Amino acid sequence: MNGTTGPILRAKGVIKRFGKFAAVQGVDLSVAPNTIHSVIGPNGAGKTTLFHTLTGTLAASAGTIEFDGIDVTRLADHQRVRKGIARSFQVTSLFPTLSVRENLRLAAQGTHRMRLSDSWLPPTGSRSCEEVVSGILERLDLVRTAEIPAGTLSHGQQRRLEVGMALAARPKAIFLDEPTSGMGVDDIDAMKSLIHGLRRDHTVVLIEHNMGIVMDISDTVTVMQLGQVLVEGPPEMIRNDERVRAAYLGNMITGGAA
Amino acid sequence: MHTLKENYQLVLAFATVLAMPLFMQSGLLAAEVLIFAMAVLGCNLLLGFTGLLSFGQGIFFGMGSYALGIMLVKLNMPLILVLPLTILVGVVSAVFVGWFSIRQRSVYFVLLTLAFAQMFYFLAYTMTDLTGGDNGLLGVPRPPLSVFGIELLPLESSWQFYSFVATCFLLVFWFLQRITTSVFGRTLLAIRDNEIRAGAVGYDVRGFKLAVFAISGGVTALAGGLLAMMAGIAPLSSIEYHTSEMILVMTIIGGTSNLFASLLGAGFYVLSADWLSSIWPRWLLLLGVLLMLISLYMQQGLWGVLEKLWHAVHRRRRREPAISATESEQQS
Amino acid sequence: MNVYLLQVVNGVGIGMLYFLLAVGLSIIFGLLRFVNFAHGAFYLLGAYFCFQAIKWGLSFWLALILVPLIIGAAGWAIERIVLRRVYDKAHEFHILITVGLALIIQEAVILVWGPLGENVPPPDILQGIVMWGNFVYPKYRLFVIAFTAVFALLLWWLLEGTRLGSAVRAGSESTEMVSLLGINVMRIFGLTFGLGAATAALAGVLAAPIRGAEPFMGLEAIAIAFVIVVVGGMGSFSGALVGGLLIGIVQSLMSTLWPEGARLMIYVAMGAVLLLRPHGLLGRG
Repeated sequence: MNGTTGPILRAKGVIKRFGKFAAVQGVDLSVAPNTIHSVIGPNGAGKTTLFHTLTGTLAASAGTIEFDGIDVTRLADHQRVRKGIARSFQVTSLFPTLSVRENLRLAAQGTHRMRLSDSWLPPTGSRSCEEVVSGILERLDLVRTAEIPAGTLSHGQQRRLEVGMALAARPKAIFLDEPTSGMGVDDIDAMKSLIHGLRRDHTVVLIEHNMGIVMDISDTVTVMQLGQVLVEGPPEMIRNDERVRAAYLGNMITGGAA
Repeated sequence: MHTLKENYQLVLAFATVLAMPLFMQSGLLAAEVLIFAMAVLGCNLLLGFTGLLSFGQGIFFGMGSYALGIMLVKLNMPLILVLPLTILVGVVSAVFVGWFSIRQRSVYFVLLTLAFAQMFYFLAYTMTDLTGGDNGLLGVPRPPLSVFGIELLPLESSWQFYSFVATCFLLVFWFLQRITTSVFGRTLLAIRDNEIRAGAVGYDVRGFKLAVFAISGGVTALAGGLLAMMAGIAPLSSIEYHTSEMILVMTIIGGTSNLFASLLGAGFYVLSADWLSSIWPRWLLLLGVLLMLISLYMQQGLWGVLEKLWHAVHRRRRREPAISATESEQQS
Repeated sequence: MNVYLLQVVNGVGIGMLYFLLAVGLSIIFGLLRFVNFAHGAFYLLGAYFCFQAIKWGLSFWLALILVPLIIGAAGWAIERIVLRRVYDKAHEFHILITVGLALIIQEAVILVWGPLGENVPPPDILQGIVMWGNFVYPKYRLFVIAFTAVFALLLWWLLEGTRLGSAVRAGSESTEMVSLLGINVMRIFGLTFGLGAATAALAGVLAAPIRGAEPFMGLEAIAIAFVIVVVGGMGSFSGALVGGLLIGIVQSLMSTLWPEGARLMIYVAMGAVLLLRPHGLLGRG
């Protein structure tokens, strides 16, 4: 897919401070291309904050982030989108008054450079990103809801649209922050297969609390605790690691059904 | 928003512009309606389309007044040159104010625009050589619009002036309609809805905000300049807090969901002020009541009220179930 | 030296009034999270009610106590009956409803008392000057400084030392937490708004004998209150105090050096703080 044989994402020594509090305290992360790399850890581990620094939603206080061979540490989130990074949010973050179709169109459009003609011409023809949008509507089973405002969707539908917005950018790496949170069982299974199928064309970095998904579809799992990486490895190794069990204070991570 | 309506928004505007001379006696009052309608369009672009509540529109309005006044009175420049330069002054001041203000969000943004409004006011008050201070810049003429000595349109009489202002207004309306329905305009809506998400999907939110500020400033300054020509003076009040406040009030009264609502808001305010202030000098009290009522019950403003009436009448005539807003939005 | 000392003392006096004006606005923002554009209108009402009370033969001292209580109660009622309904609407309507309210109050004042403004005499016991060696100063102004200092202490005790105060401060951090603790958040909103209105009215009563009562004093007041709240820090009691004194003293000193520049400088300071340190000198996040 891409020319690099090494990791597609290489983060070194990432620190993120809020005042005196360091939510992320020196994290190294290497993500291999076309894999599903999960980041797990108890609440407060700094997973979402790490995501924010990797995707550019927040600037890292220190450290470097290299993506697809380019140093993106200083780039803002909208600039990283053009380099091939896209994300979904843990707390649903859509354009509520706009239709589902428009939400996806905007997400698809976001990777293109703004041209002068864009300030004059409406989003018809090539600017409608019709193909991409229709494809995602199908893939995420949102065709029936295409024309209604995103704010009126059910929670499960909104979570699917969240993922859809990230997909619409046709990114090299897609960062999903708890995509299944609050979803019903059927939705979760569908999302699980979807994410699993993504690794063919994308690299997936995933934050998840649902261990059934993490253990079953991940290639690599990074466990975080209190802003640092505790241990990293393939799912079976993580499943049996004492430190990880201790971190979760129990046996919530021994894997789910199937 | 209803894309169907936007296509005949321009028609509605055009119809109103043609109708005003039929129903109104004073050409200057009619011109004043359109002048403030332009200012309200500028404010609505920021508020209704981008979600930016600016208390600084008086800055650009006043800068436009002064710029035009200075160019016509002190520099004796031809009108055909002065008008685009007035717009440019508005653009530049808006980029200046905007560049700083958009660095902050929500209430901090609002207060920044307020702070700038106060700064510009005091500058205008103290730079009496340029602005005439408290007295304003007097003697602003209404020269004919001419190119290379050929007189295109005299502006002496009030209705001649009105037709000129009307042309400017319709051009501005058309221009803004193109912009708001374009890819750029649609992105503004996204920013209004959720600017964090807009950034996360690849839009340079600051750049967009700055661009919309520039457009707003240019349009508002043009309005200010036209007002100076209409009144014969570039007054200090144009750049005062009260003007910023009233432009915002007109925007809300009309409604923030589309462009024609801005004409409604300006028309309502200017005509009420003209009619009521002679009957009851404390008419602003009623305006305050209206503002509170709109905030509580009619957030869509006058346009919203008219829209509801239209739907109610429509329903009764067709005896069909009400067309919901979401269904009629299937015009993408 | 005497001139500067005089201006500093003037500045402290003005600053304490500014503090009174700003602290209510700051607390309201801290808890209700919106900017109350009607704040200056409560100040205005305070001054005019004081004038009217004295005209009716009541003593200034009675007015000093009653007027803030009445206006505070009115503020509480307004929050409960009107403002509460706008919280779930878009944020611009929070601001605009108070803009409407401010307009109504201002026009009503002109309706009742006319557009020209009124003179308010200080109480007999505080008329005249105080002499302390070389230091000569109006008695009333000294009283204002002393009174507001005592009031500031009372208010500080209210916020830090009582359950209500703790609830207000906690509510500023998180209304969710507070309601989970069983405290009626809605009631705190009303009381907070009332408290804000009362302090603004108190400032108006105290200011009336110094500068009279005049219909546009509300606009001036809200403009200055914004500056102080921004510079001091929104939601911060000590910020209102420090900000008020700072702006008061600087303004006073500048009025002898560069009068027009004084006002300009204040708004430049406001803009600078908003840009560089938006939470103000002493504000929290």
